Amino acid sequence: MKFARKPRIPAAEPASPRVINELVEIADYISHLRQEIAALRANELTRDRIPMAHEELGNVLAATAGATNQIMASAESMLSLPHDASYRENVEAHIYEIFEACAFQDITGQRISKVVEALRQLELRLARFASAVKARDEAGYDPTEAERRKRADVLLLNGPQIDGPATSQDDIDALFA
Amino acid sequence: MALDLSMPILVVDDYQTMVRIIRNLLKQLGFEEVDDASDGTAALARLKSRKYGLVISDWNMEPMTGYELLRHVRADEGLRTTPFIMVTAESKTENVIAAKKAGVNNYIVKPFNAATLKTKIEAVCGA
Repeated sequence: MKFARKPRIPAAEPASPRVINELVEIADYISHLRQEIAALRANELTRDRIPMAHEELGNVLAATAGATNQIMASAESMLSLPHDASYRENVEAHIYEIFEACAFQDITGQRISKVVEALRQLELRLARFASAVKARDEAGYDPTEAERRKRADVLLLNGPQIDGPATSQDDIDALFA
Repeated sequence: MALDLSMPILVVDDYQTMVRIIRNLLKQLGFEEVDDASDGTAALARLKSRKYGLVISDWNMEPMTGYELLRHVRADEGLRTTPFIMVTAESKTENVIAAKKAGVNNYIVKPFNAATLKTKIEAVCGA
């Protein structure tokens, strides 16, 4: 009985120590990268912390709007009170409504602190990751951002300054004098 | 010349609380005819449907800003003489100069008080 001859496979040459070292280094780097990606805890950020921050800021917005409306409604009511014998009593009742509305600051302060902590965690983890992988920002083109900047430049949309008005009302008045 | 307290005033701001504040300040000054719009586009529509004695507008609004509204008003034959006061948090000198070049009558930087608003209205509408 004749058997078909198997084609001969050339024996692999032994890898050089230099190649082995490089492969070990690459494996170490991949292992290190996996550890750093795990340390980012990206799932926890996107599942818990960022949605929590959105929700807390939404609540802050609603609370400040609600308080402002209550304060303004009380002030408007005071302005339209009749000047009769119960004037003082009625004014005081509205003033207490304003005090109650101002309680929003305590709660919103606590909510904002939670958001600040979430941002701090995000910043720490991203900074650690960027440092570990020696990340460099890509100078890519973002058409949406470019359009936003162009509109802001053309329409002078600078927004409020951090340390108060850049030009005082007196200086503005001088320009219109 | 005394202020015409019966003249209609258009307040343009996307922040309803600010509209309410300005409306109350104007009421305190004696103005009763106050309308509002939430951006430049809505304001232009109102300006074309009614003759206003004064426009008080914010700058930073979407989709049409107060600056664009001002330029539209000054370019429109029927609206170009309408007095226009900008009330805004945009306080950079470049903003003030651009608004002045575009034909704004006065400029108030936020936050402001009733006395400032009154002084500017009197200066623009001739008290």
